[in-house]
Amino acid sequence: MYEELKIDLENKFSISFEVMRERRIKIIIDKKQAIPFLSYIKSKGFIHLTAISCVDWIEEGKFEIVYHLWSYSNKIHIILKTKIDRKNPLFETASFVYPVAQTFERDIHEMFGVDFKGNKRQIPFILEDWDAAPPMRKDFDPVNYSKEHFETEQYTEEIETKVRKSQRFRE
Amino acid sequence: MKEFEYYIGPQHLGVSGNFGIIVKVDGDTIVEARANPGYLHRAFEKLMERRYFVSNISLICRVCVFDPDPQEAAYCMAVEEIANIEIPERAKWIRTMILELSRISSHLIYLGSLTSTLGLYTVMQWAITDRDYILDLLEMITGGRVYHIFMQPGGVRRDLPEGFNTAAKNVINKLKSRLTDYYNIIFNSNIFINRMKGVGILTPDYAISTGVTGPNLRACGYKIDVRRDDPYLVYPKLDFDIPVLHNGDMYDRALLRMKEIEQSIAILEQILDKMPEGSVWNPVPNPLKWEVPKGECFSRVESARGELGYYMVSNGTNKPYRVHVKGPSITHGILVLEEILKGQRLADISPILFSLDVCPPSIDR
Repeated sequence: MYEELKIDLENKFSISFEVMRERRIKIIIDKKQAIPFLSYIKSKGFIHLTAISCVDWIEEGKFEIVYHLWSYSNKIHIILKTKIDRKNPLFETASFVYPVAQTFERDIHEMFGVDFKGNKRQIPFILEDWDAAPPMRKDFDPVNYSKEHFETEQYTEEIETKVRKSQRFRE
Repeated sequence: MKEFEYYIGPQHLGVSGNFGIIVKVDGDTIVEARANPGYLHRAFEKLMERRYFVSNISLICRVCVFDPDPQEAAYCMAVEEIANIEIPERAKWIRTMILELSRISSHLIYLGSLTSTLGLYTVMQWAITDRDYILDLLEMITGGRVYHIFMQPGGVRRDLPEGFNTAAKNVINKLKSRLTDYYNIIFNSNIFINRMKGVGILTPDYAISTGVTGPNLRACGYKIDVRRDDPYLVYPKLDFDIPVLHNGDMYDRALLRMKEIEQSIAILEQILDKMPEGSVWNPVPNPLKWEVPKGECFSRVESARGELGYYMVSNGTNKPYRVHVKGPSITHGILVLEEILKGQRLADISPILFSLDVCPPSIDR
């Protein structure tokens, strides 16, 4: 089964194909071929797009977009990986092939700042009134962010007496 | 009449968690709906990148409040796969048992909250009581009631306590004797039938194209279950059915969960009979210094709401480089909910939201 699939895919696309374990295949593909590959693999029975993940390889200067595809008939999971430029994070949407990709891409757009051309709904998803860099990037430091945006106060005796006074009615 | 916008939530409509829906209504018919998640965003994925592999387990169970154990199992399976650790046979059985207990308790809450949106509050009281018996069992094993933090890479924290088998059998018998009551009060109730049958229909094609999984997909006629298709733990050794219904409406989605409770009870009985003896944990290195080798993997389990996946990347340090949680509700909580709500009445919003079993914390993460 894996051999047939490998020969078939390698005839049509330039990919690196690796069987990780039973029911898991890893495929690395060039970014230009990724969306045509998705259309082709869907016609081969991989109709379920489980998720789209994004990994920030900051030292390499790349974002890795990872598609997780599952075939209900063959019971095989494909991890399809492709890398895009980190400075200019622009990619194409897969929502024409898999409608559910719209939601996953919305999530990645917000958390990593990757722009998916053609996605009709790249509106804010989870974050509200967010004005800083995309938070899931490796160079975003949540500690610095909270120091800049939220006030902190050293806990002193003065505060304690203030709090106690305001709660006196409970005693 | 002129259309106007109406905000529902984010205070929760029952027990599923804070989640907003913005609907455009004409009279009381919904013209357009937009899901508005994000009120439970606690940035677990970012936090996990800054913590040790083992300490993350106390975080991830909070991704889904009513069904926390599948999260632990999927996370541990991912770490074990990358680090190439085998877990003892007995630990596998214990994990499977906890997963099924968690599934029953989640489905009970589901039935209770769905019927309470129609005013059938009795079921909620019953369901909370029966769930508490299961929480008692879980407390006996793990020490915690809601969050257990019991599974860890290499197995589970400790062995079953003394007298557990008798206690578990008592609870199972009690649950079994209650099932007829549940059938009678829910599925023979005219109010329930009138409000549920033919409402909120999810068509099979739409369900497949939007990646719906779990009970919602099985209620549309697909016999798809991760426990059978991508087997994990000891599910291949167990004998159970995968219930399938065909109408895809709210009634079928509820009935399917009821049938799944029966199957889970059957699974639990088999587990209690067949559980082997032995150790429950293969030691792993000191968690503070444990450098999990480079690698990546995708692990999936069948949670009470559908397929739950963890994509984990390790770069050879003592913290994960990236963990992506694919909660089951992200598919049916956004696109499907928005599509189903179109053309329905305002009063049907909360039954539809609950019948899909949307778990907002697993969307927001």
